Amino acid sequence: MIWFAWRQFRFQALVVFTLLVAVALFFIFTGPHLANLYGDLKGCKANGDCESLTNSLVNSYNKELPFVQALNLIFPALLGMFWGAPLIARELETGTYRLAWTQGVTRARWVLTKLAVVGGASMLAMGLSSWMFTWWASPIDTLNATRFGSNVFDTSYIAPIGYAAFAFALGVTAGVLWRRTVPAMATTIAAYIAVRVPFDHFVRPHLMSPLQQVVSLKNVGNIGFERTPNGVSFIAGDVNRPNSLVASNSVVGNHGGEVTQQWLGNNCRQLLQLNSPNPGKGGHFTTGIRPKAFTECIDKITASFHEVLTYQPANRFWTFQWIEMTIYIVVAILLGAFSYWWVRRRFA
Amino acid sequence: MTTALHATDLGKRYGRKWALSSCTLDIPAGHVVGLVGPNGAGKTTLLNLAVGLLTPSTGTLTILDEKPASSPEQLGRIGFVAQDTPVYANLTIATHLNMGAALNPHWDSQLAERRIQNLGLDPSQRAGRLSGGQRAQLALTLAIAKRPSLLLLDEPVASLDPLARREFLGTIMEVVAEHEVSVILSSHLVADLERVCDYLVVLAASRVQVDGEIDDLLATHHRLVGTRQDFDRLPDSARVIESSHTDRQSTATVASVDPILDPAWSVEALTLEDLVLAYMSQAEEQRRDLVRTKGGAR
Repeated sequence: MIWFAWRQFRFQALVVFTLLVAVALFFIFTGPHLANLYGDLKGCKANGDCESLTNSLVNSYNKELPFVQALNLIFPALLGMFWGAPLIARELETGTYRLAWTQGVTRARWVLTKLAVVGGASMLAMGLSSWMFTWWASPIDTLNATRFGSNVFDTSYIAPIGYAAFAFALGVTAGVLWRRTVPAMATTIAAYIAVRVPFDHFVRPHLMSPLQQVVSLKNVGNIGFERTPNGVSFIAGDVNRPNSLVASNSVVGNHGGEVTQQWLGNNCRQLLQLNSPNPGKGGHFTTGIRPKAFTECIDKITASFHEVLTYQPANRFWTFQWIEMTIYIVVAILLGAFSYWWVRRRFA
Repeated sequence: MTTALHATDLGKRYGRKWALSSCTLDIPAGHVVGLVGPNGAGKTTLLNLAVGLLTPSTGTLTILDEKPASSPEQLGRIGFVAQDTPVYANLTIATHLNMGAALNPHWDSQLAERRIQNLGLDPSQRAGRLSGGQRAQLALTLAIAKRPSLLLLDEPVASLDPLARREFLGTIMEVVAEHEVSVILSSHLVADLERVCDYLVVLAASRVQVDGEIDDLLATHHRLVGTRQDFDRLPDSARVIESSHTDRQSTATVASVDPILDPAWSVEALTLEDLVLAYMSQAEEQRRDLVRTKGGAR
């Protein structure tokens, strides 16, 4: 059965692994160049030319990088669509299941073997792709120091293996429910995005209870005001924490409370009376020319408020990779079990 | 003697519609069985239940005294050609044979290769490019090379032209002669079955109307023709299947083990087709009656 599962899958496998080889060639030809640039950078202290070397490295592949990033980002969905969705749906659609399930192999073994062979291949393909990309982009990632961001976390290391397993199982499930390949493919990508995007934004930051840091507003970048339909509101950005994942940030008064419209009315009347359409939006308040009312108000806020930051620290990166890979693999197994049950019990 | 197919009160329901109901059948092994009935009568449902592609909603079914699709061994003993003879369009004939060899316990590769050779087919040809007749022959080859004890064929000749049809049925006859194999073959055309079958099951309106060896059936069914009259003078053992009246004459198809000796009737022999049609129209009549009573109750 393993032989036949492979034989049916051979062509689809060839297409995807050819694509992987093409990407690998690109990495092999450009990887050493990146590594050299990084080597130069390490010795930059002697030459005193660190900034331009850093820029030349980060920008060296700024056209190609988004492509390979995007490829790794959607690669699991592609596997789900082109490997997962047709796996059983095509047999149901063309009627060949009646040939397959009446050979001397039980339906249970037939389904489980196909799930194992093609599901395993999905994880292998994604694993290879992720590994190559992680290796190639490691100098850039080191400099950018945003490992916990989606661009790196979702495309590198081991979490993508979980995504691939999940997308594959999603494709199989959509296939057995629809019993038709094309609607199953469409459902696969839609459902994949509908799960992954909210998960990234709302679930990942809370997979472990985040650490808390209280920061003086003096150390916070991107501080200023924004005009809203209700008046003017105070905005403050994040504290720069390399390779960390910020779960939330809020500006809290030293004795509680927030910077409300009322507070601004009481303390920053002059600022509110400014006629400019946008009283100093964004930017560091220490740079550039600001109206006096702006700086005065910022000083008052800084004196009575601070920022409370919750975040996942950089040293939790691998824990999070493992957690996320495990979660998605477990969901994939559940989906696989459901498909198996559906094919055995409901499709009869 | 083992039983090829044994069903007790077998039924299959899709939602609220019964595709097959109260099917009780006992088909002994060693026959070529024709399963005949109009389209939608439940033939495909019965055969799919028999190979385990479907599971019964009610009742029980055993094939060669085993539950369908219960083990690889059991699956290997049944050769099945599904309706429209599905094969993998993108795989070659040779790959199909390799598949059979990989997936079946008693695969006879010599038999399979010889048959493909005799059919004049190129093993490297993709199955998707075969004609309907060739595809049916490939599907049949896959079923036969399993060296099954029972061969189940669902409308295998329905889409074939007359020549391909004759060749296909000829192949079945050869297989039956060469190997000890029982065959159940469904069709809505009696002419196809008449050539190869020695046992008949008439399925209509989701129920088994009659079953038995064809010789017995023909010996116990008669057509009666006489002057217009009712059928109350018939002996108790006789059962009217279908009747029709003109102004002067009455005709009836009757099942009776005893010969009909009443001189009021002239007794004629039935052809298999007449017999099947009589049972089909009986089923249709009953169905209409049922619809009418339901309508009246409302």
